Parts: sequence; structure tokens; C-alpha cells
Amino acid sequence: MGRLKTYLWRYWRRYLVGGICLLATATLVMWIPWWIRDAVRIIENGGALRDIRFYAALIGAAAVVQGVVRACSRALIFNAGRDVEYDLRNDLFAHLQKLPLSFYHSQRTGDLMSRVINDISAVRMMLGPGVLNFVNAPLYLVYALVLMLSMDVRMTLAALAPFPLLIFAVAKFRGRILKSSLEVQQQMSALSSHVQENLSGMHVVKAYTQEGFQTRQFIALNEDFQAKSLELARMRGIITPVMQGFNALTVLIVLWYGGIRVIRGDLLVADIVAFVAYLNVLAWPTAAFGWMLSLVERGRAAMKRLEEILKAEPEIASSEKSLPVRGLKQGIEFRDVSFVYGRQNNGHPTLEAINFSLPVGRSVGLVGRIGSGKSTVAQLVPRLFDVSSGEILMDGQDIRKFSLRELRRTLGYVPQDPFLFSTSLRRNLAFGRDEVSDEELARAVRIAKLDRDLEIFPQGVNTIVGERGVTLSGGQKQRATLARALVMDPPVLILDDCLSSVDAQTEAEILQGLRAILKEKTCLIISHRISAVKEADEILVLDEGKIIERGTHEELVNRGGVYADLYQQQQLSEELEQI
Amino acid sequence: MAELSQQEEILGKAYDIRLIQRLWKFIVPYKRLFWMAMLLLPLQQAFGLAQPYLMKIGIDQYIAGRDLKGLQGVGLLFLAAVVGETVTLFFHYYFSMLVAQRCLADLRVAVFSHVQKLPMSYFDRNPVGRLVTRMTTDVDVLQEMFSSGVMTLISDFVMVFWIIGIMFYLHVELALVSLALIPPMAVAINFFRVKARQTYRQIRERIARINAYLAEAISGMGVIQLFAREEKSYREFDKLNSDHREAYHLSNLYEASLYSMVEAAGSVSVALLLWYGGGEVLHGVIGIGTLVAFKEYINRFFVPLRDFSQKYAVMQSAMSSAERIFQLLDTPVTIESPKNALIPKPFRGEVVFDNVWFHYKPDDPVLKGVSFRIEPGEKVAVVGATGAGKTTTIKLLNRFYDIQKGYIKVSGVDVREWDLQALRQHIGVVLQDVFLFSGDVRANLALGDRSISMDRIEKAAQFANADRFIQWLPGTFDAQVRERGSNFSAGQRQLLSLARVLVFQPEILVMDEATSSVDTETELLIQDALDKVMKDRTCLVIAHRLSTIRNADRIIVLHHGVVREMGSHAELMEKRGIYYRLYQLQYEREELKLATYDAAAKIHD
Ligand SMILES: Nc1ncnc2c1ncn2[C@@H]1O[C@H](COP(=O)(O)OP(=O)(O)OP(=O)(O)O)[C@@H](O)[C@H]1O
Ligand SMILES: Nc1ncnc2c1ncn2[C@@H]1O[C@H](COP(=O)(O)OP(=O)(O)OP(=O)(O)O)[C@@H](O)[C@H]1O
Ligand SMILES: [Mg+2]
Repeated sequence: MGRLKTYLWRYWRRYLVGGICLLATATLVMWIPWWIRDAVRIIENGGALRDIRFYAALIGAAAVVQGVVRACSRALIFNAGRDVEYDLRNDLFAHLQKLPLSFYHSQRTGDLMSRVINDISAVRMMLGPGVLNFVNAPLYLVYALVLMLSMDVRMTLAALAPFPLLIFAVAKFRGRILKSSLEVQQQMSALSSHVQENLSGMHVVKAYTQEGFQTRQFIALNEDFQAKSLELARMRGIITPVMQGFNALTVLIVLWYGGIRVIRGDLLVADIVAFVAYLNVLAWPTAAFGWMLSLVERGRAAMKRLEEILKAEPEIASSEKSLPVRGLKQGIEFRDVSFVYGRQNNGHPTLEAINFSLPVGRSVGLVGRIGSGKSTVAQLVPRLFDVSSGEILMDGQDIRKFSLRELRRTLGYVPQDPFLFSTSLRRNLAFGRDEVSDEELARAVRIAKLDRDLEIFPQGVNTIVGERGVTLSGGQKQRATLARALVMDPPVLILDDCLSSVDAQTEAEILQGLRAILKEKTCLIISHRISAVKEADEILVLDEGKIIERGTHEELVNRGGVYADLYQQQQLSEELEQI
Repeated sequence: MAELSQQEEILGKAYDIRLIQRLWKFIVPYKRLFWMAMLLLPLQQAFGLAQPYLMKIGIDQYIAGRDLKGLQGVGLLFLAAVVGETVTLFFHYYFSMLVAQRCLADLRVAVFSHVQKLPMSYFDRNPVGRLVTRMTTDVDVLQEMFSSGVMTLISDFVMVFWIIGIMFYLHVELALVSLALIPPMAVAINFFRVKARQTYRQIRERIARINAYLAEAISGMGVIQLFAREEKSYREFDKLNSDHREAYHLSNLYEASLYSMVEAAGSVSVALLLWYGGGEVLHGVIGIGTLVAFKEYINRFFVPLRDFSQKYAVMQSAMSSAERIFQLLDTPVTIESPKNALIPKPFRGEVVFDNVWFHYKPDDPVLKGVSFRIEPGEKVAVVGATGAGKTTTIKLLNRFYDIQKGYIKVSGVDVREWDLQALRQHIGVVLQDVFLFSGDVRANLALGDRSISMDRIEKAAQFANADRFIQWLPGTFDAQVRERGSNFSAGQRQLLSLARVLVFQPEILVMDEATSSVDTETELLIQDALDKVMKDRTCLVIAHRLSTIRNADRIIVLHHGVVREMGSHAELMEKRGIYYRLYQLQYEREELKLATYDAAAKIHD
């Protein structure tokens, strides 16, 4: 809850003024029964109508002022709740952006979404209406208590006799509501994770006719959710009527006990009227107390779940005194790099003792079987993951010393999985830049050979692509991500198997276009096809995370090792075709 | 990022008879519980309204008449009323929550299973994040409607009339005075209602934007980080977020004003009551008790009015949520099995495309009169430049989309006449877009089919050459798979999705770039294995690497949505057309390599 306090603190002025307004409202509200008593006393004692009307006017005036002040208090406090929600949402987003990829690999998107959507709104309910009632209830209670005591001590004590019972009941319920709320929120998450996944994999669901199975799974989760929600509803259902009942009980006590005393002659009917009026004023805060309790407990449960995100360490961040990146002068070097993905692979390292250097203006090719660690090598450079041991140097300095942002902006990375945002192609291509001229865009599009596709699209570069780029063909998606990196015009290019879905002719054309710009760039190329890496200054063959061969194309072919086999296989299959 | 569709623009009405009727359909199965809850309401109100009346009698008759016994009696009655009110209120609340939870759970399932039937084109247009919101948050808003007591709205009105009736019964003039503020109140409430309505619409629109943006940012976080666009997307998010806050600030102001106004009006009414009623008591027309009862009734009268402003807000969002949910439910299922769906038996793996025309967007045809025929057991390859329409052909084959002209026949029957499920079960597709579910490896291979033996799964993994890495995983086939298979390499994911199709042993196997991210060595092994597995089955393979399709009986060259060439490798080479050029291109490069290899070999000698 510590974090919440800082948020509340940020808006303390709002809350303070709101609180003062609440106090003013309460004062006015509390004097009204008092004046009613005075008026009724006059009636009882047969006074002048003018005096009664004086009090009536007083009450009327107080009511009007009270209305205005109350409006202010509510608007202020509810708005502060919204402000905290706004801050919290922004902070969560900022924090999410800092979290490393490994965090996202361990979370389900649906769960994250559910937290950021549903849990935040629960927290906001706690901070708006929750806080208001939280302040109101004790305020009214104390106020009423003081005024009632000053009217009649014995009567007050009698009226409020059931209250300790109330407090006891509340204390008992609190923990259970919290626990139950937490379960409901969790189950909600599970539900939305399932839906999220089902929808993103809809093509597989349909192709394998899994609709029935998916629905059955959903029904099971849904039933769980329903059960948990009912549990919570039952508790909430008990609290409100019980609170109301308690209030009515106090009225009864006043009537009964007060009546006896009036008959005995040591109390006036006016006092009963005033007491009943006070209890009426207390009715809403006490009834709302149950509601508030569930709001607060639900908000706390939600905050706990948000804390889990906020507590996640942004392990990969710029160091305190980060060095600026001033272009690339010497190059990039892997020095004795090892890497392990969390607890996967039984702690068996994914990369082991990787040494190579990528001098400026040169290119290095990476080949190897599937799962040999090629993409992992590539991901270490922009620090999507940090090395487990060893270091990666840029111009002789450990990359962890540089500003993360600047480091990444020197790299043009084309990931193996093409991801596009659901906006226009133009905005996707210009993603890495603030501003980009049409010529630059056209150049990148030309090199990535996307120009022909753009000609076919009726809206050209303004075509809106679907989520993740679903409305493009596989090859178009890949080439769009390539163009996106080229638009950035970075000194270093990292191409992770970025032409795998492109036909041979287009590939040849792209490689040719790339070759021209690769001369000025430093480049790491990953591919399964020898044609793509053949011209690299050094080729590394990776196997089970280790470099098993290295050299230029000719050297490797000569050596007659794995690479030469690979090469021969690729050739062999070509020859086979000829026959 | 996400562009907003019309859906969010709906103007929320607070009360829409059409929507209520549709919601009612979901309540019908729980009708009895519902009516029980509803019937408890008048009872609860009666208990509640009895209390001020008992108070009046207590004060005017027994306290004024100094009758202790009578007071006791009234007290007991009052107690009974209190207990009655508490108990009925609880059961009312509990029953209505029971109804709410049950019928909303049904609603959720209805939406989910409807969405399962929607055509792929729907998912091309609608972001996942928004659909998830429909099924979770929007349904939740409906629940809020039940739990915040909107169900009592009608009974609240009934109660208001009860109170008016009792007041007039007690004293006509006092009643008129007490209710004097009603007309101006009605005007004011209406004013705020109209104002608030506009802001609610904005709010719902803006929160939908925030959520869609967020969903996309979360799935594309890797790209955002790689391009160091955190600040930019933070700014965009902040903009959406603060727009949302602004809309709420306005609505809070309206709500606070309305609420406070009603509260104030209540107290002013009491003042009026004293102003006028004080004289009446002085003149002995009525007793003090009546005055007290009136005050109580005024209280009870204004509480529903005050709550009305809040309930109205809830009601309004509930209606717009309901509207959107029903809109989703109303989305036509354009692709489904026809009435008299056919399942041809015995199944023959024959595929015919005849003059197929297809477009995703009007005026932008992707396939323009494609015709070809694949005989049972034939292995056919489709090649062509990227974007030529190869993947589209496959999506049409298992009816992800419907064509505009021509026909597609599988086993001699038009796919539109097939039973959809059966059709898709006969055709096994390895899609270009690999997708793995979170769970374990085994569940990803066998999917929902529990009857598939472990043996078959292992065999399939072997054929796909996936067993090589699976055996190294902790727990082998029970190893965890994260969402979208993010803890596997791209090639490994492809092998898993290939193994999946082999588990199901379909009569027609369709592979779209199934081994594009796989190394040559593994690919060759897979091909040999596939030759064995798919011996007498029909095979349709799409590949860019010509080496992948070396075993094809026939090759179809697709170019800009038109079949340009068709025939065996030799025939196409003869023709010297597109295929020939494609082939030359790859061949030449290899030739070149051969030359260097030879040269290198010489040096080596
Ligand atoms: N996020 C992750 N968590 C755990 N293990 C992972 C993760 N990503 C990859 N791996 C494992 O690390 C190994 C290397 O993966 P990597 O993606 O680097 O392979 P690759 O050489 O790029 O393969 P491909 O050619 O298939 O793309 C694989 O065995 C893979 O299963
Ligand atoms: N869901 C969709 N909505 C709109 N247009 C689409 C959709 N899917 C594909 N297209 C368009 O249809 C054309 C053909 O796409 P298709 O995926 O069939 O190509 P392909 O031949 O498989 O290409 P690749 O080899 O790159 O995978 C492309 O121009 C693409 O942009
Ligand atoms: Mg890879």
C-alpha cells in the first residue's frame, strides 16, 4: 500500500480541500436536526409560529449552502480518484515499457490486460467513492455522537448500544472479502487470458476444428468465475441489509426508550424527533459502510495485483552514468559470452563461450541448425536479454555502460517474427523515426522490394494493416519489417532470417540492393540459406550454442566440415532437381 | 495505433426496450429466481414504509396518550418490520445476484461460442483486445447493473408513488407542501441527464481506445523497445489517458451536482414542512407524530431520487455494453455448414479449383480466375512471387473465406456444401503463421483430442524431426510452452506445428511454407519422412525454396492471382517461362558456388 500513499500524497491539496468541504457539509447536515429539535420544542411548548418559521428558514438556507459545498466535495474527491487512476495507468504503462522481454515471456497477455483494465478501475473506486465514505462515515459518527451526547447521554448510549456488535461483524468480514475479491480478480484474469489466446490463435482453432474444445475450456473457467463471484456477492449481500437493519434498530431503541422517558416526563418529543433525525443522517454512512468495505477490499486486492507488475524489476536498464553513443567507430565484439534462459533447458546454457568481432563496415554471417542459438546471439546485442557471463563490447566499452536508448537506436534490428502494428503501412515503416521524408521512405521500400506490392494496394503506403500485420502476406510482412529497419538508417544492421518467406527472385533482388548499402554498414546476418551469408567477411557456424566453425565462405568450404556439408546439401538438392 | 471502428460510437441510451427484451431472454431460464427476487421487493418496501407510520402512531397515540403497554406493542411491531426488512433485503439481493451471475455466465458462453463461428474476415478487422473486452469487461458492466440495484429502479418508482399516496392519506395540504419541489427537480434532473449522457458516450469511446492501444503495445513491446520508441508511445498513451480523464472530470461534476441537489432539496422540503406544518400542529389540526412521519417519508422519498442519478449512470453504461455485446452476437456467421451439409463417403483426396475469383476488399481481386485440379494422391506444389495469392488459395480451400465466383470442390463436392467441420478435419493445414498455445508440448500437438495416444504423438514428432529438441526439454513432452511459443526458436515452433498436423493424419495435407525457418539438413530429413507418411495422400505444398518441392508431381506457378504455368518440372523447364527463370536464378547461384567450390578444391589439392 506504500505506493498508493505516494499517489494520494500527490493530490493532497485536492483531498484536503475536498475533506474541508466534507467537514463543512457534515457541520451543516448535523445542525439541521438540532434546529428541528428547537422548532419542535417550540411547537410542543406552544410557542409562536414566527419562531418556528425562523428555524424553518434557517434549515432551508443551510440546505442550500450544504448542497453547494457537498457538490464541491464530491467533485473534488472523485476527480482526485480519477487523477490517481490516470497517474497509475501512466506509470504502469511506463513501467511495462521498461520491463525486459523475459517478463513478457513469463506472462500471459490476457492477464496483463486484465490487470491494467479491471484492477485499475477497482483501485479507482477505492480512491474515489471509497475515500469519500471512508472519511464521511467516522466524521458523521463522531459529529453525531458529540451532538447527541450533549443532548442526552443516557439516550445516546442506549441508541448506540448495537454499534460494538457492528464493528465486530465488520472486522470479521474484512479478511474474507479481501480474499474473495482477490480470487475473483484472478479468475477474471484467467478468463480473459483464455479468450485472448483463443482469439489470437483463431486460424489454428478453425483449421483444426477446435471450437468445441475451446468452448468447453471456456465454460469450465467461466463456471469457476461464477462460483467465486457468487461467494463474494453473498458476503456483500449480507453486509448492506445488516447495516441497514442496525440503523433501524437504533431508531427503534430511541422510540421505545425515549417514549418511556417522555411518558415518565423527563424528555420531550422534540428530543426523540431530533434523535431519529440524527440516526437518519447516520443511516447512509452506515449502510454505505458495507459497500465501502467491499470497495476498499476489492481495491486492495487489485492494488496487490498491480504491485506485482510494478515490483517487477526492470533488469535491463541504462546504468546511472551512461555513456553517450557517438556512432560506431571500431565495432562490436563478443567476448567469452555465455547465456542461459532462466531455468529452461535444465540450466544447460543456450550460448557458451561465444567470441567474435564485428568490425565497423564488415559483416558477419551466422548459420546453424534450428535452436542452435542464432537468434539468441542477435537478441543480446540490443540487450533484449543481458549476457549471463562474458561481455559484449561496442567500441571497446561494455554495452551495458551505454544509454540503452542510444544503443538501440544505433541498431537496425529485423526480428525473425515480423510484428507490425495495426495502423497504416506508412506509420509502420516510419516507426523508428520521428520524421521521415518521402524519398527516404521510397528508398527503403525500394531496397526491401516492397514497391511492387505497394503499387497493387489501392491505398498504397496508406493501407491499414491488420493486427500484427495479418492482412499482409507472409513475405510482405517480412519485407515491411526490413524496410522499417532500413528507414532508420542505422550504422548497424541485424538481420535475423528476414527473407525466409520471400521467393528466390525477390530475395536475390533484395540481397543485391542490400549489398550496396551493406558496404557502409556493419552487419550481422542470420540465415539458413548459404546464399544470404556467403559474402560475409566472416561466417560462424553455431551448434548447440557453441561456435564450431568460423572463416570465410571459401575457407569453410575447403575445410570440409559442417558448413561444407550444409553447402553440399543445398547444392545436392539443387542438382537433384535438375535430374 | 488501433483505429477505432464505428462500434464505440454508439450513443448510450439508458433504457432501450429492445435490449431489455434481449437481456430478458437470458434471464428466462432463471425466471423463478428472478420473480422471487422481484416479489421480495414490495414486501421489503412494505416493511420499510411501515416504520414511519408505526412511529407516528407511537408518538401521537401512545406517547402522547401515556400508554406504555401500547408503546410496547408498537415497538414490537417496529422490531418485526426491521427484521422483516433486513431479511427480505438480503434475500432479494442474493437472489438477484444469483440470477445475474448465472445469466451473465450464459451470456459470456453465448458470446464466446458465437465468436468461434465468425469468419476469419471478422478477425482481420477486429483487434483481439477489443473482443476480449466484450466478453469480460462489458459483461462485467452488466453485472454491475444488477448488483447496484438497478433492478430496483422500477420498484423505486412504485415506492415513490406509495409514499405520495400515504402522504396524501395522512394530510393533503402537508403532502402538497412536502412535494412542492418535485416539478423543479424533475426539470433539473432532466437537464443533467442530457449533459451526462454525452459525457458517458465519450468516456466509453475513450476507454476503448486506451485498452486497444494497450493490448497492442503489450504484444508489440519487443518492437517498441528495439526501436527505442518508449517515449513516443508513452506520449501517445498519455494523450489517450488524459482525454479519458478529462471526460470523467466533466461527468463527475454533473454527477456531484445532481446528487447534491437532490440531497439539498430533501432538506429544503423538511424546512417547508416545518414552515407550514408547524402552524398546523400549533392549531391542533395534526399531532407532532404526523409531522415526524412526514419528515421520515420525505427522507425515504428522496433516497431513491438521489440514487437515481447514480443508477442512471450505471444503467447507461450497462445499456451501451449490452448494445455492443448484442451487436457482436448479431454479427452474421457468413461461413457455416449449409442446412443439408454433405460429408461425401468415401473421401477422395481430390481438389478442384474452377475459375475462382476472390477478393478480400472489393475492387482488389487477389485471385483472378484460378483453375486447377489435383488428383487423389497427387503431390502438387504452388510457387510464385510473394503476395501472389498462394496462402489465399489455401485459406479458400478450407473455407476460411468464401469466394466470389467459380467453385472449389473437395472430393467432388463444393466446399460450400460440405459440412464445415468435416471438411476441415479432412484437410490438415500447416499455416504460415505458426501459433502455439500456452500449455505443454503434448497439448499443443494433440490439441483438444484426449483420445490420441502418446505413441502417435511421439511418432509425429519423430517424422517432423521435432523429437530431437523435445527430448532435451525438461519434461520432454510435458515441457511448458509459453504464450505463442515464445520460449522456442522460430524453427522449433515450425517443427511443432508440422508435427501437429501429422498427429491428425489428414487425407489432404497442405503445407504453407512449413519449413521456411528450418535448416537444410533438417528439412531434407523431414522431406524423406514426409514422403513415407504421405504416400497415398494428396499433398499441396507451398514453398519458395525450389528444393523443398523437388518431389512434387506437378507444379503450379501463380503470378498476381493468375495461374501462369502448370506442369511437371521437366515440362515447365521446357516452357522457359517464369518457373524456368526462377529456377535458373537459384541454379545459377548454385552454379557460381560450385565454381568457387571447385576453385577452392583445386587450391586445396
Ligand atoms: N525465451 C526463451 N526461453 C527459454 N528458452 C528459449 C527462449 N528462446 C529460445 N530458447 C531456446 O534457446 C535455444 C536457442 O534458441 P534460438 O532462438 O537462439 O535458436 P535459433 O538458432 O535462432 O533457431 P532458429 O533457426 O530456429 O531460429 C532453443 O533451444 C530454444 O528452445
Ligand atoms: N486477410 C487479408 N485481408 C486483406 N488482404 C489480404 C489478406 N491476406 C492477404 N491479403 C493480400 O492478398 C494478397 C495475397 O496474399 P497471400 O498471403 O495469398 O500471398 P502469398 O502468395 O501467400 O505470399 P507470401 O509468399 O508472401 O506468403 C497480398 O497482396 C496480401 O496483401
Ligand atoms: Mg532464430
